[in-house]
Amino acid sequence: QLDRGCALHMAARDGLSSVSSQNVPAEKPRAVFHTSESDPAKHTEQHEGRLYNIPLEEVKAVFPHGLPYRFQQQIQTFNEARVMVRRPALELLTYLKGSNFAHPAVRYVIYGERGTGKTMTLCHVVHYCSRQGWLVLHIPDAHLWVKNCKELLQSSYKKDRLDQPLQASVWLKNFKSSNERFLQEIKTQKKYMWGKQESTEEGRPLGEVVDQGLARVRSASDAVGVVLKEIKQQSHRGSFRLLVAVDGVNALWGRTSLRKEDKSPVSPEELTLVHNLRKMVRNDWSGGAIVTTLSQTGSLFKPSSAYTPQELLGKDGFDTLDPFVPIPVPNYSPREFESCYGYYLERKWLQHEKGQ
Amino acid sequence: RLMPVRWSRYNPSYLEPEVKTESYQKPLEELTEEEKEQMELKAVRPIKAAPPTLSSSVFSDPMISKFINMMMKSGNKVLARSLMSQTLEAIKRKQVEKYHKAPENEKETIECNPYVIFHQALKNCQPIIGLSNITRGGKTYQVPVPLTDNRKRFLAMKWLITECRENKHRRTMMPEKLSQELLLAFNNEGPVIKKKHILHKMAEANRAYAHFRWW
Repeated sequence: QLDRGCALHMAARDGLSSVSSQNVPAEKPRAVFHTSESDPAKHTEQHEGRLYNIPLEEVKAVFPHGLPYRFQQQIQTFNEARVMVRRPALELLTYLKGSNFAHPAVRYVIYGERGTGKTMTLCHVVHYCSRQGWLVLHIPDAHLWVKNCKELLQSSYKKDRLDQPLQASVWLKNFKSSNERFLQEIKTQKKYMWGKQESTEEGRPLGEVVDQGLARVRSASDAVGVVLKEIKQQSHRGSFRLLVAVDGVNALWGRTSLRKEDKSPVSPEELTLVHNLRKMVRNDWSGGAIVTTLSQTGSLFKPSSAYTPQELLGKDGFDTLDPFVPIPVPNYSPREFESCYGYYLERKWLQHEKGQ
Repeated sequence: RLMPVRWSRYNPSYLEPEVKTESYQKPLEELTEEEKEQMELKAVRPIKAAPPTLSSSVFSDPMISKFINMMMKSGNKVLARSLMSQTLEAIKRKQVEKYHKAPENEKETIECNPYVIFHQALKNCQPIIGLSNITRGGKTYQVPVPLTDNRKRFLAMKWLITECRENKHRRTMMPEKLSQELLLAFNNEGPVIKKKHILHKMAEANRAYAHFRWW
């Protein structure tokens, strides 16, 4: 008990030292493992099964929209964000550290059964990349873009495409809050016309495009498309690294539950947001990585027992994503389970006497 | 699937089923004389069928199951049970949040266990004395009358549920409303406790008619 108490207090006082990992004695493998190692870059095999702390300000800055709802509730209840270091995440981090950025971007697909922690692995990787200073393009859940949309507008840019102003503006707001400094550094390379009067000149910072999209909600989806195109073109120059993190990527190739005004079903290509995202996920650019997650819980028209990439992506998706690195995520191993259980006991989350 | 009949009448020789697993795990030497006789009787006599609500899990609680039965509408026990578990989780969340934000000296006073809170809140809501209508000479009088334990529990649970269903904003979810009510009742505040006090005052005011009671 005393050891665990020490580990937590030290973690609160000094941020990045790894002193407390020596405090945990090796003779008690059933004890709770906490690490005060809050930098994902320094996580190694030794830290597997331990929970590391993310300071709350960083959580608000890095993940304005990425975390699953239950994890956000947990953060609110315990007043701290603790993420477990697991083997699939460590694997991904080693690949990212060793990847050559002159080659085209490598695609990683995280898959696994329901509730095994794919979204949390993705968030771990996103945290690492934002610590390293990469530009993070994090789409929280692609399924939100293909279902339950209240407003569909005819796109002014291309005739047969449909816009989604609500979802696009929400995403632009979150993107702005997470990647402030990049928006000032990256400059546009072409002149873009928003309607008849407004236009963005060449050489203006990207922040202007984002503000334009937020101010004129009707052209928000086009603003998103412009942002994605600019970032893709400029990433291979090497001034910054790009990480495309998409959660629920199987939404881009399935069916949508949206309908046009004449009640005909909408296919994903007709949505501007989905079209632009598909261009991002193709690996014809270099200087970064694409990490995606499959998700069955939000997917439409797919059976609940499907979890392999082949079943969930469908034929088109699988062909488009074809050379990818699959990363399976299993359930908690006994050691991880013990540490999670110990954490909950300590935080007074398990209250029933028989549960202890 | 066999449905148990309500008020089914068994032969009096049938015994009640024993659900707790601990009683079966005791080795033979530890049993007292009475328990050994009980076991021999059980080997001979037939036993009644266990109702589906009676479970041998450590987490089951007869009060909680009664409350779930009262909350159930049109036989949808699955929904009622899930609502109850969400309520207990909501209570636990609120209390744990308060616990972590409180300064050190107040931490022991905050109760985090939702079962304890539920039982205490129910106890606080139970009235001690009730009123019943007795007709004498054409007029009906409200006569103060003692209540049985079952009746007290029933009234407490009924008041809680009606309070949640009627007096709250339409769009709030039931677990939220219930958790709020239970926490208020735990601290002896809230509309249900007020109702109990009003009932007590009425009983006190009608003391004069207490001799109308004949039981």
